[in-house]
Amino acid sequence: MATFELYRRSTIGMCLTETLDQMVSGGILSPELAIQVLIQFDKSMTEALESEVKSKVSVKGHLHTYRFCDNVWTFILQNAQLKSEEGQETVDSVKIVACDSKLLTQ
Amino acid sequence: MASSTTSNVYIHVIEDVINKVRDEFINNGGPGEGVLNELQGLWELKMMQAGAILGPIDRSATQKSGAGGPITPNPVHDLNVPYEGTEEYETPTADLLFPPTPLQTPMQTPLPGSAQTPLPGMAQTPLPGTAPTPLPGTDSSSLYNIPTGGTPITPNEYTSTNENGVPEVKAGPGRPSPYMQPPSPWINQRPPLDVNVAYVEGREEGERGAPHQPTTQDFFMSSGKRKRDDLPPQYRAGGYIPQQDGAGDNLSEEDNRPEDLKMVQEGNQQMFVQVGTMSSRIPQLDGPIPDPYDDVLSTPNIYNYQGVVNEDYNIVNTPMPNEMQAATPAPVQNDTGDDDDDEPLNEDDDDDLDDVDQGEDLNTTHLVLAQFDKVTRTKSRWKCTLKDGIMHINNKDILFNKKSVTIVWLMGISQATGEFDF
Repeated sequence: MATFELYRRSTIGMCLTETLDQMVSGGILSPELAIQVLIQFDKSMTEALESEVKSKVSVKGHLHTYRFCDNVWTFILQNAQLKSEEGQETVDSVKIVACDSKLLTQ
Repeated sequence: MASSTTSNVYIHVIEDVINKVRDEFINNGGPGEGVLNELQGLWELKMMQAGAILGPIDRSATQKSGAGGPITPNPVHDLNVPYEGTEEYETPTADLLFPPTPLQTPMQTPLPGSAQTPLPGMAQTPLPGTAPTPLPGTDSSSLYNIPTGGTPITPNEYTSTNENGVPEVKAGPGRPSPYMQPPSPWINQRPPLDVNVAYVEGREEGERGAPHQPTTQDFFMSSGKRKRDDLPPQYRAGGYIPQQDGAGDNLSEEDNRPEDLKMVQEGNQQMFVQVGTMSSRIPQLDGPIPDPYDDVLSTPNIYNYQGVVNEDYNIVNTPMPNEMQAATPAPVQNDTGDDDDDEPLNEDDDDDLDDVDQGEDLNTTHLVLAQFDKVTRTKSRWKCTLKDGIMHINNKDILFNKKSVTIVWLMGISQATGEFDF
């Protein structure tokens, strides 16, 4: 099954990657198994997000960079405002990486 | 810090992952349940320290806290750790527990515009070593190269593994050392003024079997001067010709050795011209067109320790051997930079001007990872519909689902003139 490795860059993904790295370096875990764990993480994360319900979030800002390559959009916004139920955040710069959702369903 | 909802989701994800890989750990000769528990414990520990998970986890309070080590299950409030939002990819744990490695570039490798596809096909993350994994996979695959140096614990070794090739460069500085040593013996063997002879002997010694010497000398003199190898024996046979000052040489010596000089010169060694007075007597055959390096080397005296290089034989080049010795490190170092004599190529100038790089370097910042349903644009107004994403903003993680995000961007393009406003 195809997965997006996108979420490995999130906090939870990075923690997992670091942990796996640590264990592989220590010889406790084999690299192949670590990769399988990461793939499973991709799947679990995607499923969790699908089932996760959140309020609507909107983002506005000045588009500094846009890129579409290999079916991945990458945007860099400046002076962005992110509004959510939890409140509004303002950041100087935010990077948005988005994969095509249709790829998973194909 | 994470909200309770986000934290719960993360805990759920962790549990889900662990449960699903349990079979692989236990069956088929896997590492076993213990390793699995350790994995879970460490993972949760890091999450807590990163502030992504709140509070103790009920089911794991007993096991994981033990497996996780000394950290208490209240790490979220470990405000002693300044969780720097700028270092997005560096969990504070690493900085706290382990000394930062010199290669502490925070995950720049995945970031730089790597629009590499997390395509479905890429899920087959290639095993260690192969680079082209998309996005985050980039680092994860390199992780399993089992980084050569540094403590395995340091997560910063992500980048270090990417730089595995770099350490080879470190051999560079060490190079001068072998070059330093060989010159000394043969220089010491001769009176300091006698450059050529010393060189000759050095050659012979090199020929005899000090393998590094010829390379050393080649290094000093560049390829053009290797031709000397032909001369030394001949030269030697004829005794040696004083080089320091051509005008002051004994004429008697000159008389005795015209033939030798001729032989020498026929060898196309410009160097052997040395004595100016001799040159006037003996017909000279111009050597081959000197290599560019010869010219380069000829300009500073330090390269002229053998008095060569200059086709103008009347010019006396008499650097003291001591100077030469002192200078040896210089050529070693300068040769590498010989490609640009005066100034560096300035190839790095554009790096600062590159907006893309700037934009992405700023990314220490805030990140949104999601899937897009639609991306449209009307003139300067972009509109994207994202779903199933994670936002990491101001140290907070916000998850969002489908139909929950609509993004409207304004791009700074003046509609009238079409100019970009960056």
